[in-house]
Amino acid sequence: MILSLVEVLAEVMTQMKYLVSLRSSIVAGKAIVNFSRCLTAPLVNKQYSSYAPYFVEPVYKKEVQKSLAESGDLSKLAHVPIKPAQNDDTSSVYHEDIVRKFTNYVMRKGKKELARNLVEKAFENIKRIQLEKYNGGEANVETNPVLIMDKAISNCKPLLTLTPIKRGGVRYQVPVPITEKRSQFLAINWLIMAAKEKERTVHFPEKLAWELLDAYDNKGRVVKKKQDLHRQCEANRAYAHYRWS
Amino acid sequence: MAATATFGLLRRVTLKQTKYKLFYALNNAPTDMKLRYVHSVFCKSTFCTEASGKEIERDKSTKSTISKAMRLYLERSREYEEFMRKESINYKIGRRHLANMMGEDPETFTQEDIDRAIEYLFPSGLFEPRARPLMRPPEEVFPQRKEAEFDESGRPYHFLFYTGKPNYYQLLHDVVTHLNGLNKYEDEMIRRHSYPGEADVVDFSGSEWISKDNLETLLVETINEREYDNFVKVMERLSHHPYAFRIRDFISKYRKLLISQTKASDIPKPLLGEDGKSRITVTEAQRKTARASATITHPGTGKITINGADILYFERIQSREQLI
Repeated sequence: MILSLVEVLAEVMTQMKYLVSLRSSIVAGKAIVNFSRCLTAPLVNKQYSSYAPYFVEPVYKKEVQKSLAESGDLSKLAHVPIKPAQNDDTSSVYHEDIVRKFTNYVMRKGKKELARNLVEKAFENIKRIQLEKYNGGEANVETNPVLIMDKAISNCKPLLTLTPIKRGGVRYQVPVPITEKRSQFLAINWLIMAAKEKERTVHFPEKLAWELLDAYDNKGRVVKKKQDLHRQCEANRAYAHYRWS
Repeated sequence: MAATATFGLLRRVTLKQTKYKLFYALNNAPTDMKLRYVHSVFCKSTFCTEASGKEIERDKSTKSTISKAMRLYLERSREYEEFMRKESINYKIGRRHLANMMGEDPETFTQEDIDRAIEYLFPSGLFEPRARPLMRPPEEVFPQRKEAEFDESGRPYHFLFYTGKPNYYQLLHDVVTHLNGLNKYEDEMIRRHSYPGEADVVDFSGSEWISKDNLETLLVETINEREYDNFVKVMERLSHHPYAFRIRDFISKYRKLLISQTKASDIPKPLLGEDGKSRITVTEAQRKTARASATITHPGTGKITINGADILYFERIQSREQLI
């Protein structure tokens, strides 16, 4: 129930900004200024790329290349400078974008191999647990760890977040919409933080497997955290207009 | 504003005076006098009694009382033309001398030959290519300037002179003319039930519109951002016409070719071996301080050999995944 309300709220927020800015323009007689962008966009552009802005990301997956060739966009890439592929961008069958991203977030101090091993072990644990259930005779048991991870992340994604806005000397926690990328980041980060909070004897991949499985079933600590956030946003919906004035 | 119509760009001192006179006259003189004054300023007639003395003088003899500023302007433009002509002659003679020096035929000595000859005769260690010695036709070296835009009587040559940017607006005018022409042609074709074929569609994917700076040098005029955007929009509209191929040359003049990132000559060709198998060897592959060369055989066995060892040469699975 709360989920659907928050979803509606998120939709309304994104639509409202246009209405409110229009209203302010009619009332104040000024040009339409989109204040919402000031809050979410960074004030300083920190571009440290060694490549110029017109460089394009490489297309290394065979299916994507094929679809580009069919649509006719591949010929355009021939005339545009392309960045070189990263080391974990492979055209292997086992390459998954979501898994690569997750591994990067697990990684600490640049230890990619360790991060990859941890995630692989977590997948192994997920597979073992699910296989036990499957062989035990349960119905509708998903054994593919990649699918489980994907569903778990999407279940943990928040739709709104609270941001502190100062009005009249008081800092209010105002619910604001959230971008897709940021939402995904929060979901993955929460999962990893939850997996780190464990007993000394329990290993990280094991705990991570449990967290992912819980999130896949829409229960557990991370989903609860997301729901708490949504509840807070719902409670603070009276301050929503502080976003613009 | 009426005062600017009759005078050229440079008569600013008298401009103010005439403007003031016009303002005074228009506000204080009776209506019929006002009209006559304005009429005289436009038509350079001698009817109006309030016309300034200088104008009457000008109308009588245009050649003897050409203003100093006008004269200087015409002199300057003539000097520039003279200078360019001399430089052009020098360049042509210089090219022939250079050809003789290099022992080549002066008649078929192209710009590329000149560049090579200069590089040989004046080897430069400078990093910036534009700082190195060059020999180019004067049009490329010296900044282009417009020729005299109006004659001695002050009448401009270009019909769009008073826009301030005649070449730019001429270009837009040409585009619209082309567009109208193509529309007429299209109507004619539709009447005959004939439609453009698939082969006739112009592909501009390998090029982009010339930059603002390039357009400025082409038109010998300064253009602001808005005008440049307008130009691009207008050209896009023209290039999307189904019969745009008929004016391909006109459009290509304003398109800059993008360099193809991998030229056909760069891709190595497979060599056929004695055993009937074709091989390609890619050398000079590098990453950080690592240097590698790879040989691919077709038809092959699917075996991977790295420095004599198997794929297990790479301990990391990520590296192995990059091979497969």
